Amino acid sequence: MSKEIFVFVECKDGSIRKVSYELLSKAKEISQKSSSIVYAVIIGSNQDVLANQLKDFADKVLIVDNEKLSKYRWDTFLSVMEQIIKKYKPYVMFGPSTTTGKDIFPRLAARLNGAIISDAVDVVFDENTLKIKKPLFGGKIISWMKCKDDSTFFVTFRPNSFIVENRSLNGELIKENIDVSEDSRIVSISTEKRETKKVDLQEADFIICGGRGMKGPEHFQDLEEIADIMGGRVGASRAVVDSKWRDYDDQVGKSGKTVSPKLYVGCGVSGALHHTMGMDTSKVIVAINKDPNALIFQYADYGIIDDVFNVLPALKEELKKIKKEI
Amino acid sequence: MNILVCVKQVADTEARILLTSDKKSIEIENKYNMNFFDEFAVEEAIRTKGKVKDCQISVCTYGSNKATEVLRTAIAMGADKAYLLDNNGYDIEDPIITAKILASFAKTEGFDLIFCGRQAIDDENANIGAMMAEFLNIPHVSAILKFDVLDEKKARVESEIEGGKEIQEVQLPALFTTQKGINEPRVPLITGVMKAMKAQINIIDPATLKDLSKGMIDESASKISVLTYETPSARPTVKIIDGETPEQKVKALIDILKDEAKAL
Repeated sequence: MSKEIFVFVECKDGSIRKVSYELLSKAKEISQKSSSIVYAVIIGSNQDVLANQLKDFADKVLIVDNEKLSKYRWDTFLSVMEQIIKKYKPYVMFGPSTTTGKDIFPRLAARLNGAIISDAVDVVFDENTLKIKKPLFGGKIISWMKCKDDSTFFVTFRPNSFIVENRSLNGELIKENIDVSEDSRIVSISTEKRETKKVDLQEADFIICGGRGMKGPEHFQDLEEIADIMGGRVGASRAVVDSKWRDYDDQVGKSGKTVSPKLYVGCGVSGALHHTMGMDTSKVIVAINKDPNALIFQYADYGIIDDVFNVLPALKEELKKIKKEI
Repeated sequence: MNILVCVKQVADTEARILLTSDKKSIEIENKYNMNFFDEFAVEEAIRTKGKVKDCQISVCTYGSNKATEVLRTAIAMGADKAYLLDNNGYDIEDPIITAKILASFAKTEGFDLIFCGRQAIDDENANIGAMMAEFLNIPHVSAILKFDVLDEKKARVESEIEGGKEIQEVQLPALFTTQKGINEPRVPLITGVMKAMKAQINIIDPATLKDLSKGMIDESASKISVLTYETPSARPTVKIIDGETPEQKVKALIDILKDEAKAL
């Protein structure tokens, strides 16, 4: 059986998303153990420059270039992926558990009557099998799953699950000529992109999150400034989003986004289960809250018990100093 | 117009969840709800019914007898008919099979419009909607934020895309998954609850559905399997940073984050 690992490369605003490099890095690690090779699959229009950036991370880079693919649509991308998989018959295909990944992978798996495990956080190659780690019930239970043999296998992973490693593979670029078919039953009327240069919440290495203790939308400016210093993002608890202090896009938690930054700082966040289920896979958690009994301290690695409004100015100054040192 | 809403009964976020000693199965405390995102799907169906003529809402779930509770919740909110696709207490791991069963049911009954929640909050898979649409060979739009029926054959939707929003016109029949923000799900009135208590729940054995057979939907058909379950390793107890003033505490925190946690 072929053991090739394919990675669907997701691009956003003209660049390759970090999660794609993470998946390629992990795929290469697995392929070294299973003596196979890694293919990156990049689908779009005029993406020669991007394809070149993938060379260091994959043994082969499949490029599908067509002006009909300049914007993501599940129907066009799916028609391309279907043909690629039928042609190469990979052992497994990795993709990101992002808005796009969640839209296309289930439908792709259904079309090819394959097997799929979604929203995973780790994979190991052991006893000649890919074992997939997936949290359930907001992380209360961890499951290890596998695909039964012979099925086309798809796995999507949460962003920030793996470390990016450039192995300078100098992979081969292969242009694929593939017909793109469009589903005429869907017509795009308009798209509206948020004007932001900021990193995606789920991909951010640093997240500073505000809770009800922030007392009002005007106080999130302090958090914004700290996030900017750190090149990270501001998150919000459900209470904050429900009070319309912040957009839903910023919500961390069970009904919002699941995040795993390197450093999470919760400011005036009480730590309701709903919220902690969306952030407890963060590498390091810091909580700032004046209530010593706040639930968040049960999840935090480090805590400061004090009024968040007294702590934030000092935190901003100290982080500024650190960024200057580097 | 016939609308179908697919819902799932999930463990409450506060429910205690334990592993059996052999680590092969999960025990869930008896606290269940309708999946958070499915409430938006039911609500959107009810609002759509208010805007079009001759409209009927069916709600269905694939689950055990206990899952009839969420069907009754949907009826209390305003759905007309309820169907339990009975799994005989056996939870299938493979989402493809669940989607096949729901799609087969939808095909048998025939619907113009299908709503599902964006994802279930227990497994966070976000699989079923798009898969069902594929099996039904109809278009889908994920994570919709606004929905309007233009005429019997067309809907206009706004949906979440990577880094923004998109407006699309979609030919019906089609399937849509609902995102938080599309509406405010209603709390059922007491009259609705009374009606729901008396409502008939249609129970269907999935193996009898069109194009399905027992061998296609039982454990042997599942393409994935669980090797083992684990409980996550507990975080060490929090280290509270001491100091006389907020400034001192922050300084001490920064030192620890740099030297001990290597997070800066």
